[in-house]
Amino acid sequence: MKRAFMPSLFKNKRPRTVNILAAESAERQQLTDGAVSGDEDLSDLPSDTKAALTYLRSLFDVHRFEGRIPPILLKHQLYSVIQNKTQVDREVDQLRDKKEIKIFRYGKDGDEFCIVFTADYISHVRKIATQQGVSALIDRFIPEILEKMNNITFSRQTLCDVHGFKDKEITMLVIAGMLTVRDVGSWWLSIPGAGIFMKNFSKGRQSVLRAIKKAKYREILQKELEERKLQAVKKLSMMYHIHDVIGAELVTKIKTTSGIILRLDE
Amino acid sequence: MLNVLAERSWGNVRPSQVHRAEATRRTFRLQLSKHRDVQRIHSSGINSLDIDPIDYKFMLSGGADGVIAIYDLECIPEVKEFTCETVCTIGRSNRHVHKHSVETVQWYPRDTGMFTSSSMDTTLKVWDTNALKPAERFVLGKGIYSHHMSPVANKHCLIAVGTIDPHATLCDLKSGSSTHILKGHKASVVCVQWSSKDEFLLATGSRDNKILMWDIRQAKGSLMSLDQHNGEVVKGSSAVSTAHSGHVNGLCFTENGLHLVSCGTDNRVRLWDTLNGKNTLINYGKVSNNMRKCIEICTSSGVQPDVAFIPSGSDIDMFDVFSGETDSTMKGHYNNVNCCVFHPLYQEVYSGGNDSNILIWEPDMGHIHFEEPPPKKLAGASKVKKFNGNEINATADTWSSSDEGD
Repeated sequence: MKRAFMPSLFKNKRPRTVNILAAESAERQQLTDGAVSGDEDLSDLPSDTKAALTYLRSLFDVHRFEGRIPPILLKHQLYSVIQNKTQVDREVDQLRDKKEIKIFRYGKDGDEFCIVFTADYISHVRKIATQQGVSALIDRFIPEILEKMNNITFSRQTLCDVHGFKDKEITMLVIAGMLTVRDVGSWWLSIPGAGIFMKNFSKGRQSVLRAIKKAKYREILQKELEERKLQAVKKLSMMYHIHDVIGAELVTKIKTTSGIILRLDE
Repeated sequence: MLNVLAERSWGNVRPSQVHRAEATRRTFRLQLSKHRDVQRIHSSGINSLDIDPIDYKFMLSGGADGVIAIYDLECIPEVKEFTCETVCTIGRSNRHVHKHSVETVQWYPRDTGMFTSSSMDTTLKVWDTNALKPAERFVLGKGIYSHHMSPVANKHCLIAVGTIDPHATLCDLKSGSSTHILKGHKASVVCVQWSSKDEFLLATGSRDNKILMWDIRQAKGSLMSLDQHNGEVVKGSSAVSTAHSGHVNGLCFTENGLHLVSCGTDNRVRLWDTLNGKNTLINYGKVSNNMRKCIEICTSSGVQPDVAFIPSGSDIDMFDVFSGETDSTMKGHYNNVNCCVFHPLYQEVYSGGNDSNILIWEPDMGHIHFEEPPPKKLAGASKVKKFNGNEINATADTWSSSDEGD
């Protein structure tokens, strides 16, 4: 019978005998531990999601792309690190509200999300701006829009009327890669140079899935997959792609006695 | 456990707390039953199951062959191996049987003297259980996907029906009319569900990807359309907000009526707040779903935290409703699972699927059943077999004892 949820009523809560000496020493122990006393400010500790994001960011090697893109992570990679998806969603929204990360949309219908740390994004934008020669414009763009607002869609009203950007300047931003046309009179914020990332990412994902599809029973030990040297996976590391396919639920992760097995879903 | 019972008798713990804790413990240990099963009547897929809401003793099943069967679930005194037998069936030879597949069956919420069944032959029949004859028959224009009668209604006897037509119909048992229609959807209405606490609140899900909430007393249309993005504009400026990105297949209110669970062919399950229609944004992960008709999903009752049982392919996923985590995946069916019901007294789940089986999932508490010694036979009857007049002793050695001769 596997370990299942046990309501708290059935757990042993308090000691059976009241031992005054034991109780006192227990109290002292709790204070020295410093565990969950009311005075501690827990909001300074990084949340689980932030720790997971930092770990995923460490998997991304900017040098392999010659600095053309900032470290881009995918939201569903977090689902493979942290089990509770709803907690991940909530904490990602909190981090976005605190302006520590920026969330962009990608995919055919714009329904998948990718995450970039705000600091990385701004430094990348400045670098691109100096390369393209629009640094003055970008210097104006950054404090007004990037640092103040959280959303990623902009309408003509917001840009022209509220912030005073002219049509020509908007065109320059689109050419630089900062904005992408979405509809007549509305734009999406985008990452300049994201094309390289998307190409390498989709090629790498296809290559990993093909490797699992060709294996016997359409499953493979994770260790074996890591040892395979696939050409398309060289830029973004293998662990990055493994987190991606697990989190996107294209593959199920099964713990076995010989290690972790990744099985292709249906 | 004995500790908890002692605390209850001293008054430290309330009896309702003990009841809820034990029900929860049982629900989280559901396994395919090893010793009990249900008699196999249907020769094709089972579309719908319902347990009577008064004694929880009888179960109705409706199949794709048009057959309806009633099973007795109780087993008193308890024996180790038990098959739930049918009490009666409405088979193909019955004069009043449905001509096409039965899509939904439901007991009358007040007593077991009546039940309703709806079918793809465009009729909704109200049956008298004792006579096994329809007392009333509603003929609607097109095939019926699903119907539901409010479990808490005092002021009305309406049955909400979802058909291939893009409107939901309300059939009135008291007057026999089926003229009250609810217009709002643009494609067939696949599933309908009354609220478990409010007798006038109805939710309908349809192939146009929307879920509409209705107050049937209101004449001017639906109360609200549930929006999965909660008002944020996502695609173009002209995109219409929908509840799912695919057809809405299954709806179920939680026990307290405050939340609505919906599943759709976009492989997502969503939890909605009934009072303001907001998506609670709880992420259940990918729940694969490509059923063309209604799936009956169920939520637990009397269990804290609430769990929902959602059929997905040939397994049933058990989710914690408010955190979205998958508690377990119940694997046992050989083909798609169409329906599942939760038995609140025994904390069991009964599920039916396209493999014509009804499976029982019961809590595995680790109890060991003691074998009852077989009752002693009378002295006259002998256990040895008689063959050609010679007695054959079954345990005797049949090899010849000597090297030479027979």
